[in-house]
Amino acid sequence: MQERDAALLGKLARWRAPLGIALALLSAVYAWTVWSAPIDSTQGVIQKILYVHPPLAYGAYLGFVLTAIGGALYLWKERELWDQLAVAGAEVGVIFCTLMMVTGPIWAKGTWGHWWSWDPRLTLTLLLWFVYASYLLLRGFTEGGARTARFAAVYGLLGTLLIPLNYFVIELFQGRAMHPENLERGSLGDGMGWPFLCGNLTLFAAFAYCVLMRWELEMRRAWLADRAEALSGGGA
Amino acid sequence: VSYAIAAYAITALTLVGYIALLSRELRRLKGGC
Repeated sequence: MQERDAALLGKLARWRAPLGIALALLSAVYAWTVWSAPIDSTQGVIQKILYVHPPLAYGAYLGFVLTAIGGALYLWKERELWDQLAVAGAEVGVIFCTLMMVTGPIWAKGTWGHWWSWDPRLTLTLLLWFVYASYLLLRGFTEGGARTARFAAVYGLLGTLLIPLNYFVIELFQGRAMHPENLERGSLGDGMGWPFLCGNLTLFAAFAYCVLMRWELEMRRAWLADRAEALSGGGA
Repeated sequence: VSYAIAAYAITALTLVGYIALLSRELRRLKGGC
């Protein structure tokens, strides 16, 4: 590991404790605001899933964008730590995407009466999940190295093309999609803005915390593998 | 109500479980450093 990478590793570890405390505090406020949020007159309590489902979607998008940024920086700078950031973004993004695809159908079952519909947004979200789950499989089943990292970087960059399509597909289908429209300023009822804001802040903090830990983990694994290789090479 | 509780419980348990796994793995690797 280069000296500047070791310095970054130290910084990541130092950020973790304050971020963890912020996450714990935010979680308590978030729970309180969701609990005390007004009950929607049309949907009832199930509408409160709105305070968790879209923030999970933003986390998933952010994870996949990080994968693209990490991949692009790796292709440009050829420093392993950017490839490690790409892996961290993909894994956390897939977890957030999975949770989005679990909370969405729970809401759909209670509101539409069925778990799933081959609606354009739902179908594209499933495709997005498969694209990044495949990215993780690719990373898990190959031995690593520069060639895999380069291929994964290009794959991760191309995958992000699905994100704007996934977000704007409801507008493209102009009212023919089953999924509710994207939230806009003023589209939430009275008293629903705070829990939604708290949901976004808390899940963003959770996302950042997970990415920092996963990135640090990937860097430490690579460092240990390098050290083991150096030791075995030295002993030969 | 149970649908909403299920959505929040699954999200919270998954994220807490994932963070716990990452922490354990980091501790293990730090022990090896």
